[in-house]
Amino acid sequence: MDFRFRRTPHKTASEEHQQRFIGVVSLRLVLQSAVLAFVFAGAAHAEDAGENAVPAKELQAKIAYCENCHGTSAQGFHGYYPIPRLAGQQPEYLKNQVQAFVDRRRTNNIMFNVAHVLSPAMLSALAESFHDLNPKPLATAAPNELIAAGKKIYNDGLPGSDVPPCASCHGPGAIGEGQFPRLAGQLPDYIFNKLKNWDKERGQDPAKPDASTIMQPITHNLTDQQIKAVAAYLNHQD
Amino acid sequence: MKQIRSYRGLRLEQPRAPSGLRFVWVAFLHLGLLATVLSAADRANSADRYAVSKGDLQAKFEYCQDCHGPSGQGYRGFSPIPRLAGQQTEYLKNQLQAFVEHRRTNNIMFNVAHTLSPSMIAALAADFRALNPRPLGGAPKGLVATGEKIFQNGVPDANVAACAACHGPDAQGSGEIPRLAGQLHDYIFNKLTNWSKERGLNPAKPDTAAIMSPVAHSLTRPEVEAVAAYLSYLK
Repeated sequence: MDFRFRRTPHKTASEEHQQRFIGVVSLRLVLQSAVLAFVFAGAAHAEDAGENAVPAKELQAKIAYCENCHGTSAQGFHGYYPIPRLAGQQPEYLKNQVQAFVDRRRTNNIMFNVAHVLSPAMLSALAESFHDLNPKPLATAAPNELIAAGKKIYNDGLPGSDVPPCASCHGPGAIGEGQFPRLAGQLPDYIFNKLKNWDKERGQDPAKPDASTIMQPITHNLTDQQIKAVAAYLNHQD
Repeated sequence: MKQIRSYRGLRLEQPRAPSGLRFVWVAFLHLGLLATVLSAADRANSADRYAVSKGDLQAKFEYCQDCHGPSGQGYRGFSPIPRLAGQQTEYLKNQLQAFVEHRRTNNIMFNVAHTLSPSMIAALAADFRALNPRPLGGAPKGLVATGEKIFQNGVPDANVAACAACHGPDAQGSGEIPRLAGQLHDYIFNKLTNWSKERGLNPAKPDTAAIMSPVAHSLTRPEVEAVAAYLSYLK
């Protein structure tokens, strides 16, 4: 046999076995990679569109549960405590607050229990669902003068007391944006309680300061009457 | 008297307004009458109890306690009859109205309720609110710890809201939300397990019973027993 003219290398039995094995392994690798890529793509998709990762029935049941306390269409409810409106709330703000409850940076035992069983996908889905709700405000009757006074404070602030206009962060219509919450249509006694108790309830982990520090000086500088006025104004905003 | 005209030949006399002392006396009588009428109306609207005679109220109050127990503490009759002592007045009035309208089913209470005037209802509600006897007790004490947990925290995995959020941390209630503290445990159990059969029964007139419906559905029977036991010992 003339070895110079052999086109294909002459394989030994073990070489051939090895080559076939590599071929099989390569095919498996390709298939496995393909499956993994598919799964990851699916998971990534689920994170983007939160609702798809949460079965519709579970989401509906969870929304109904939230509304048990937060009121029909999450308009708010005057329970033993005033329970806030969630309808139309900024999703980023809502998610931040739920996380704050879980981390106990924001104090509320009932909300801690609610929050720490929520998966990230469920939380996203809930935040989007509540953002889409738009019931009329659960309005508490208030004198026109109080509402007018509240409107002035909301739009102009109180320069003499170093209180910036609320509108500068919460927006002219008080619908908020991003991490800044919507205030329009909120329960006035809820607003009053939160602003009065800011230091006791928010930013409770000094090692992990959060966005609640922004509001701290403002809550200090507002008088009770000014808070009531702003709260009355906001409660009547659609 | 002054003669001013004649009619068919008859001389008619136009009466004049009283003068002098007589005027003062007549005016005084009229003002007195006006004052009596106005104050009665005012009394009927504001301080309702005064529009109900003391004797009537006392009799009715004792009649209620015939079933609802001394000092409205509750009574184990054929079925457990609830404690009324310390109940929120708005809640009590709402329930009586619900019985009258058959939105809440109870034949005995229908008969009781629809003979009560609004002022009597207001007076009774105020009187029961003021009572504060010790709880009747009787529930298994071993269930209390679990019941407290459910009451304060709800059952988040089962989508059961924390009772305390609405009924208050001490189960005292507020406004239209009832006090549960010291309620008979077997009464609570019956109501929660029969909620949709007994409450909110007029779909054309939905009432606050709808709020409790999902809670009543989602709680398991052992959970209801535990919460009921816990509540029955609260003062």
